[in-house]
Amino acid sequence: MNRVLISILRKEFMHIWRDPQTLLIILVWPVVMLLLFSYAITMEMRGIPTALCDLSETPASRHLVECITSSGFFELVAEDVTPSAYEELFQRQAARCLIVIPADYSGDFINYQLTPVQLLIDAADPNAAKFIQNYLGSILWRVSSNQSNGTLLTFSLSPRFLYNPDLESTYFFVPGLIAVILLLISALLTSIAIVREKEMGTLEQVLVSPARGYQIIIGKVVPYIILGFIDGVIVLAVGVYWFDVPLRGELWQVLLAMLLYISTGLSFGLLISTVARSQQTAMMLALMATILPTIMLSGFIFPVESMPLLFQWVSKIVPATHFLDIIRGIMLKGVGLGLLWQQTLYLVLLTLFLLIVSIYKFKTVTE
Amino acid sequence: MRRVFYLVQKEFRQIRREKAYIAIIFLMPFVQLVILGYAITTDVRNVGVVVVDQDHSRYSRAILASLETGETFQLLGTVPTERAARRLLDRGKAVVAVIVPHGFGQNLLRGEQPALQLLLDGVDGNSSGVALGYLQGLLAGLQLEWVREVPELARQIQSIHLIVPEPRLWYNENLVSVNHIVPGILAVLLTMITLFLTAMNIVREREIGTMEQLQVTPIRGWELILGKVLPFVLLGFLLLNVGILAVQLIFAIPMQGSLLLLYLMSLLFMLSTLGLGILISTLAHTQQQAMFIAWFFSIFTILLSGFFIPIENMPDVIQYLTYSNPLRYFMTVIRAIYQKGSELPVLLDEVAGMALIAGITISTAVIRLRKRNV
Amino acid sequence: MSDPVPVTTLPPAVVVDRLTRNFGTFTAVDQVSFNVSPGEIFGFLGANGAGKTTTIRMLCGLLLPTSGNATVHGNDIYTQPNRIKACIGYMSQRFSLYEDLTVRENIQFYGGIYGLRRETIMQKTTELLQELDLVDKADQLTGALPLGWKQRLALSTSLLHDPPLLFLDEPTSGVDPQSRRRFWLLIHRLAAEGKTIFVTTHYMDEAEYCHRISIMAQGRLVELDTPSALRDKYDCDTMQEVFLRTVSGSPSL
Repeated sequence: MNRVLISILRKEFMHIWRDPQTLLIILVWPVVMLLLFSYAITMEMRGIPTALCDLSETPASRHLVECITSSGFFELVAEDVTPSAYEELFQRQAARCLIVIPADYSGDFINYQLTPVQLLIDAADPNAAKFIQNYLGSILWRVSSNQSNGTLLTFSLSPRFLYNPDLESTYFFVPGLIAVILLLISALLTSIAIVREKEMGTLEQVLVSPARGYQIIIGKVVPYIILGFIDGVIVLAVGVYWFDVPLRGELWQVLLAMLLYISTGLSFGLLISTVARSQQTAMMLALMATILPTIMLSGFIFPVESMPLLFQWVSKIVPATHFLDIIRGIMLKGVGLGLLWQQTLYLVLLTLFLLIVSIYKFKTVTE
Repeated sequence: MRRVFYLVQKEFRQIRREKAYIAIIFLMPFVQLVILGYAITTDVRNVGVVVVDQDHSRYSRAILASLETGETFQLLGTVPTERAARRLLDRGKAVVAVIVPHGFGQNLLRGEQPALQLLLDGVDGNSSGVALGYLQGLLAGLQLEWVREVPELARQIQSIHLIVPEPRLWYNENLVSVNHIVPGILAVLLTMITLFLTAMNIVREREIGTMEQLQVTPIRGWELILGKVLPFVLLGFLLLNVGILAVQLIFAIPMQGSLLLLYLMSLLFMLSTLGLGILISTLAHTQQQAMFIAWFFSIFTILLSGFFIPIENMPDVIQYLTYSNPLRYFMTVIRAIYQKGSELPVLLDEVAGMALIAGITISTAVIRLRKRNV
Repeated sequence: MSDPVPVTTLPPAVVVDRLTRNFGTFTAVDQVSFNVSPGEIFGFLGANGAGKTTTIRMLCGLLLPTSGNATVHGNDIYTQPNRIKACIGYMSQRFSLYEDLTVRENIQFYGGIYGLRRETIMQKTTELLQELDLVDKADQLTGALPLGWKQRLALSTSLLHDPPLLFLDEPTSGVDPQSRRRFWLLIHRLAAEGKTIFVTTHYMDEAEYCHRISIMAQGRLVELDTPSALRDKYDCDTMQEVFLRTVSGSPSL
């Protein structure tokens, strides 16, 4: 390392150290986000507000209601409503579904093979509607197979969920949040780093010195890589120790992948920084270019395979898509970077590309 | 009142000169609607499935064929061993592996109920749960078909009783997720523009010193606030209408309820977010801080609004937290008007929530602006 | 160079009595008292951070004092800030113009904010543009004007509602010497028309243009007299020297 680089580095560390408010934001904010949203983001529905209309009122129908409520998925908010009351219930958002047990429920039981139970669902939210259908379907299936002395099954299914047998949603979202938080923080940090100096006029001062373009850029990036890495370690620790997300693969591989991913984010921020003229533009650009794609297009919540083909291609450009594959692969599936070499290689190439472009841009801007 | 007119006129002259605003108002709705409308899909589609066929019977081939129909599954092919299937799951290529064991067809005919093994990637618990549901449905169809071929079972059919759900889906019969997501995007857009732009606008006036200049004029606190609120409400309305048009053009989703009601509700909603924006601006000293705070607020408001995660799924503490989020109420309102054609009487809770937030934030902002120590 | 202090029997335009302002444990303005007569050019001198701006902000109703009293044109600064705001003009060192509005639009806007009638605004705009020599630049963006022009435009907009009292907070900072001279000629003409001018500056040569000068250091008023009296008292040739003497003589240094 040369002396010029060391003095630039020292200056950058001083900047960070002297601004405890920002430092606090950088270190505390990710943890707050992780805690808040890990609890908030759960797709599984529990205690669905349910209205009941039991026209039969027999021991058999009461048994059915018992089975439905004891599952924990449905919570009775209204009983003895009339079947036509659904419109009012759904409009007032008082219930999401109405279960109607027909008057001759137990009678039907003896005379017919199929006994219908009406299920009226407020399907405005189609995802919730699907859940409700599935939950009730499987409860009814269980009740009827218990009551039948024979079985219609020609074959049975034995499903096994790998990697996450209890389908814990934190297993899915915590690594995802790590990916989102790291990219946002690292891109935002550097996006204003050079613009700020441009605005304050200190950049000119540095430029008239014999320091070279790459030295200035590296001097800017290294301190933030360290900061971002500390962030990553904190967030990872919260994920593993607080949320009990398993770490089945190698720790050093997770850390290495994080380091690489942070560098990608920082290089992206740097590029914005060399292009933008004011801090405000830089922040706006960084926000626009990171928040939306990282949350919506990376597979953080919505599976990439379900998107239209065009958007699947777009998602391949987003670095978070690849990092998500890597971190979920290592943490949950216990696979190594060897198996994930494509994703890793993409991140390496993207980082190099962004760095080279920003050094080049930096030169043309300053010359 | 004349002073307010001049404030509004000035604001519009500034907006007209700022090209970014024009882009934000006329382009952003289209871009956001297209990206989010198509990307946010809670439907599960193209699930990669691989089959380990150790049986090679008519039945295992029928299972293979059934996986090829429909959009839910994408059959990647067959592999010889479970190990190979697991490797595909490890690498994330496949999400489901169906293992048809040796002798499956024979055992089935003997009425021995052979087990069909399914391996699912549980990482995305939600999607794999839904995929399992679809798979069960698909295979149940096959089971019913084959029941008559197994003599033992055919005899039992008479003594079987099944309780079956008879679902009726209201407001969205075909469970199209776009119908639900798109009105939500409109609400999010409106939040971003009102919250973000107001906060930035006021902080900028403070940084360049014109806010101080206004404060030494005889102008009153409420006139100043009104002069800020009016232009952004008008801007918000413009954006809302561009958005409604875009929804019509791109997705052709009809609005079931009254447009007038939606306008009135948007007005109330914008008052609450503008109040919040002004409040943020009184907290921040620099534009950068305002950006940070506004940014945190926008993530917070979007994720905790029920936009794509139902609020009742969240833990109680977080549910209480969402009551302070104006978007939570408007999200319900805009969806109810778009999808259910709801009328005012059933939306009174939401009206109360938004009015309360608007009242608190705006009066706090007026007081803070009048206070002489900032 | 300076005119004699105008002799008047009118009540004072500004009365300040033991005015104090603390920021936490730091005392920015400490027990300051003085009067300003109508038609007077009252100079407020001091190094950066001496408490000049804080005093002016309290008098304009932008900041509440910690203790002490003051009236501006007979209006109490605690209870009647809105009446004060109607009778003062204020121009800060930042010039506070909207750079993305044109010259004409800035004038119209501030006229409207002070509640002038539409016809008055039109008439004033034409007058001002001519007076400032900005007729051909009227529809240019204010941000594109040279600093000296911005300064005069800012002064003119603060005079739109014809206030009897004008607060100028470092109005000449960053402006070239020639523009500063032109600016002070304008100030003197305004004073001759009967307006009271309250001006802060840290340019010592500008102090000579004032009728009376007060010198602030560490939040306290250390001197208050006419420039010539101060020069005599300290036996100096320039205000620069007077200032250095007063500041070094202040007890806290």
